[in-house]
Amino acid sequence: MKLVRDTWLLFHRYTVQMLRNPVWLFVGFSTPLLYLVLFTPLLKHFSGPGATSGTVIDVFLPGILALLAFASGMSSGFGTIFELQAGVIERFRVTPASRLSILMGPLLSGMLMMFVFDAVVVAAATGFGFSLDWGGLAVLVLLLGVLMVTMSAFSVATALVTKEISSFAAIVNGLNLPLLLLAGVLLPISFGPTWMRVLAHFNPLYYAVEGARALCAGAYGNPAVWQAFCVLVPLCVVVVAWATSVFRRAVA
Amino acid sequence: MTDRPPAISTDGLTKSFPSRTGPVEAVRGITLAVEPGEIFGLLGPNGAGKTTTMRMLTTLLPIGGGRATVAGFDVGRQPEQVRNRIGYVSQLGGADELATGTENLLLQGRLYGATPAELRPRIAELATVLDLAGFVDRRVKTLSGGQRRRLDVALGIIHRPDVLFLDEPTTGLDPQNRANLWEQLEELRAGGTTIVLTTHYLEEADVLCDRLVIVDHGRIVVEGTPRDLKQRVAGDAIVITLRDDGAGAPDGMDLLAAEPYVRELSRSGDQIRLYVEDGSAALPHVLRVLDSGQVGVRSMNLSEPTLDDVFLRQTGRSLRDTGDSVGADGTEVAA
Repeated sequence: MKLVRDTWLLFHRYTVQMLRNPVWLFVGFSTPLLYLVLFTPLLKHFSGPGATSGTVIDVFLPGILALLAFASGMSSGFGTIFELQAGVIERFRVTPASRLSILMGPLLSGMLMMFVFDAVVVAAATGFGFSLDWGGLAVLVLLLGVLMVTMSAFSVATALVTKEISSFAAIVNGLNLPLLLLAGVLLPISFGPTWMRVLAHFNPLYYAVEGARALCAGAYGNPAVWQAFCVLVPLCVVVVAWATSVFRRAVA
Repeated sequence: MTDRPPAISTDGLTKSFPSRTGPVEAVRGITLAVEPGEIFGLLGPNGAGKTTTMRMLTTLLPIGGGRATVAGFDVGRQPEQVRNRIGYVSQLGGADELATGTENLLLQGRLYGATPAELRPRIAELATVLDLAGFVDRRVKTLSGGQRRRLDVALGIIHRPDVLFLDEPTTGLDPQNRANLWEQLEELRAGGTTIVLTTHYLEEADVLCDRLVIVDHGRIVVEGTPRDLKQRVAGDAIVITLRDDGAGAPDGMDLLAAEPYVRELSRSGDQIRLYVEDGSAALPHVLRVLDSGQVGVRSMNLSEPTLDDVFLRQTGRSLRDTGDSVGADGTEVAA
């Protein structure tokens, strides 16, 4: 099938390009590990009496994984801007390659990289006392994938609309901080006052983080799990549809 | 072969872009036909609408108004079929810098549905035709400007398109590389490929194009073969450069206008340009007239008409004076 074939070709291309960029790989691996090593120890003093390192990291690690999915998705537009300005996207758009594949190739490649980083972080975290729940982890992969695709499609489409780095960076950075702070990524939002908890319910990332925590704890029946999927899956469909239509019309 | 449909035909093609001060009409009704096997040029100053026209014909930009068919298919309604039959080399090229030439060519060919086994001999063939053999297995970012440009063209023709679009193919190339690329494009044409190119190099249009249109402000100003267009100007051009004698110094315009052999006369800056039937016969007369009017002359040139004369005559402006125009040797002339 043409869509699958084209997507595979472009997926392969982006993956090879990423692997040939050692600086990028180094930063990609070191960022989540730095969170783990330099942030987790601080949390001990915030947790309630009697909390072991294990329970702290059980709350914190799902947050890092959601953060990774969110951030790697949000940053994918930077590559789009670069390729737009280098004429690469235009070169692909003149070929009969399926439009959706031109969008999905780099996106899936970024997702593969994200899961590789995730695996490294989870492996490292077990060293810090993180207790693995394999079933929950499997569902979590799905949740993180949906989150990453959503943010990535949003970011790429925004890049195609803005076309240049400064306004794109302003939009992405302007959204990153409030979305991250209102999602309880690093500390649970339940620590906050009522107005924050109310506001968080308008933030899709909040549902992803809550869902990820429940899944890591092995609590599949927790309403946070189905709520996360109910918020993120429709959002993903809408954003990808929008991004594809931007791609078709893009005045690159 | 005359019953073959045109490679390209457009009818009243238009495009406008929204802007803060209202819509900007980039293309205002371009109607043209390109025959199969031609090298067809869109010549004009920057901002004339050449690139916008090309981007519509290559399905990159939705058509604003009018109709266009490329390789027998309607660009607006059958973009997929059009894409299968055209190649496009943008000003930027767009090869992957971190990949080798061969890797780039393989991916490009596979996006057109070819298999690696089919592509290997094709890549070898292109390496010969476009002289890529020495560097095709090196990473693109290590290539020189001329090498990159040849790779860009190879990417544009890997799938043997019926029509090849080239947007400013030789911008940034030195004269030697430019001449080489011209030769290679002529070989491609000899192989049956129709080539459409935009350029703001007069010499390029003159040397390379079988037929061309001069585009200005989104409209076709004139169309024909380079030779026809130049003949239409009729006769020779004499360019007089005035000495800087300060404001109010006589420039002899009134005197020259009265001379019976002067067909056309114009002044821009310190240059007077006049067209006469027989340049060498007119020169002594012109000299005498200028002398009698005590006009300070720095230099005088006699030249056969160029495409710039054609442009000048149609638009009242020189192509070399329109914004960042380009000298005959290809060096950018600052405005």
